[in-house]
Amino acid sequence: MYALVDANSFYCSAEQVFRPEWRGRPVVVLSNNDGCIVAANRQAKALGIGKFGPYFEVRALCEQLGVIALSSNYELYGSLSHSMMEVIGRFAPEQHIYSIDESFLSFKHCYPAIPCLLTHGAKIRRAVWKETRLPVCVGIAETLTLAKVANHAAKKIYGYNGVCYIESVNQRDAILSAMKVTDVWGIGSRIGKKLHAMGITTALGLAKLQPGIARKNFSIEIERTVRELNGEACKGWDSARADKQQIFSTRSVGERITDKSTLQQALSKHAGIAAAKARKQGSAAGTILIFASNSPYDEQPNGFKYHYRCAHPTNDSCEIMAYASEIARQLYNPHTRYYKMGIGLLDLSPTKHRQGDLFTPEKDPALMQVYDQLNQRYGTDTVFIAAQGIEGKWHMRRELLTPQYTTCWQDIPQINCR
Amino acid sequence: MKVIPIFACAGITGFESPAAEYRQLPLSLDELLIEHPSATFIGQASGDSMENIGIFDKDILIVDRHVSVENHDVIVANYNGNFVCKLIDTQRRLLLSANDSHQSVTIQEYDSFSVEGVVIRSIRCHRQSPLLVND
Repeated sequence: MYALVDANSFYCSAEQVFRPEWRGRPVVVLSNNDGCIVAANRQAKALGIGKFGPYFEVRALCEQLGVIALSSNYELYGSLSHSMMEVIGRFAPEQHIYSIDESFLSFKHCYPAIPCLLTHGAKIRRAVWKETRLPVCVGIAETLTLAKVANHAAKKIYGYNGVCYIESVNQRDAILSAMKVTDVWGIGSRIGKKLHAMGITTALGLAKLQPGIARKNFSIEIERTVRELNGEACKGWDSARADKQQIFSTRSVGERITDKSTLQQALSKHAGIAAAKARKQGSAAGTILIFASNSPYDEQPNGFKYHYRCAHPTNDSCEIMAYASEIARQLYNPHTRYYKMGIGLLDLSPTKHRQGDLFTPEKDPALMQVYDQLNQRYGTDTVFIAAQGIEGKWHMRRELLTPQYTTCWQDIPQINCR
Repeated sequence: MKVIPIFACAGITGFESPAAEYRQLPLSLDELLIEHPSATFIGQASGDSMENIGIFDKDILIVDRHVSVENHDVIVANYNGNFVCKLIDTQRRLLLSANDSHQSVTIQEYDSFSVEGVVIRSIRCHRQSPLLVND
């Protein structure tokens, strides 16, 4: 028996914790450099302000409608997420934190001792609200996929009041029939299209698919999803998050970049971020994608994109930075005002099964290990490679940033004693 | 030249520390002041309405959201969209100040009101902490 607990529009809710005057009001949170809307709460969506649109297009509308627009305050979200996970973790012996705002709980060994799982779910929801002031929904069911389904129902179906425990087959099928197939965990738009072509549009349709056919037409993963929708546990949470197939670090910049060395520095920075991510999941890249361009909203969209094929897979920051910097030097165009740039690490292979190369000396991973440990313990960029520059002119623009109430002494909330 | 570092040991040692077996973790103020870390936040008082119970302007308030509110607790409340620090009279639905020049406030039906947490400690910096000074 599993539960999935996740926060409702987490970024927006986090912004309301220390701003009680914003509670109940429409809030949107913008991406790096205040470019796009990445989170919108229920009230903002009800006003027609959706996710993922460029902010400048809806800015006037937001101001007119009184929608509160904010820069991403990752320091605040990280800190509040940590507290929230601690509270949730009290309610089960096993917890798996799936993302910044989602956490699975397993009641595998203890649920007969819990008199009523529905009440238990309601308790989780109340405790998280009371102790962190973050609203969450709870879905409880037999498998991880069904826990996701139950959570979806808790959020979307009126009457569940934020907690749904799938107790019977009838209830399960009723929920599945009201759910789009693309809302099922692991069914992306590509697979969704193929399923639509097969006449399957609801989650129930997918559940009724023969597992064998699911495997033949798609993959073993989809077969597992089908089985899980029928209450047969196939996914453990170790496999719940597969390693990323591609790793990107990409960003738009606050101020356009027009000189070569700044562009090289910015790309080096992304190379470092991507390489660190690759090391974290134990992967090395066979191909490095390096790109930079001006804004798609500029008059003449312009830029470059280059695939660098490595002689042997790597995840070494120094090495990847060197490639990125060299390619930026070659492809730089002095007439382009660069706005967006990044690095992609492709053809990832696990470093565990690395094939040695006779002509390339094996690189000692010790340096990168120490480098990662230092940055993990003392904070990002405690040590960095000089190629990324010391003063990042391409730093994020966060003009609408709220204070870091929980992580910075000077930003702690003021409490009125007047 | 390769050197394998081995600490020399000739059986001659100093007087062994008699405290070695008694080592404990040093005292932690977090442990003393914060009972429920994931349910606690830190704020700063602004104003003089709580002076009679010893909360002065700029004092640090440790606010616990886990504990239940009891009558006459010092609380932080969301009162009409504002964080306020008051004494709560749960029976008469009153917010009391601890300063004779401030009137008590009745919580009305039309007010938006919720208790945000109980002020379990307050800290007085008799010398300014450099961490709290804006530079």
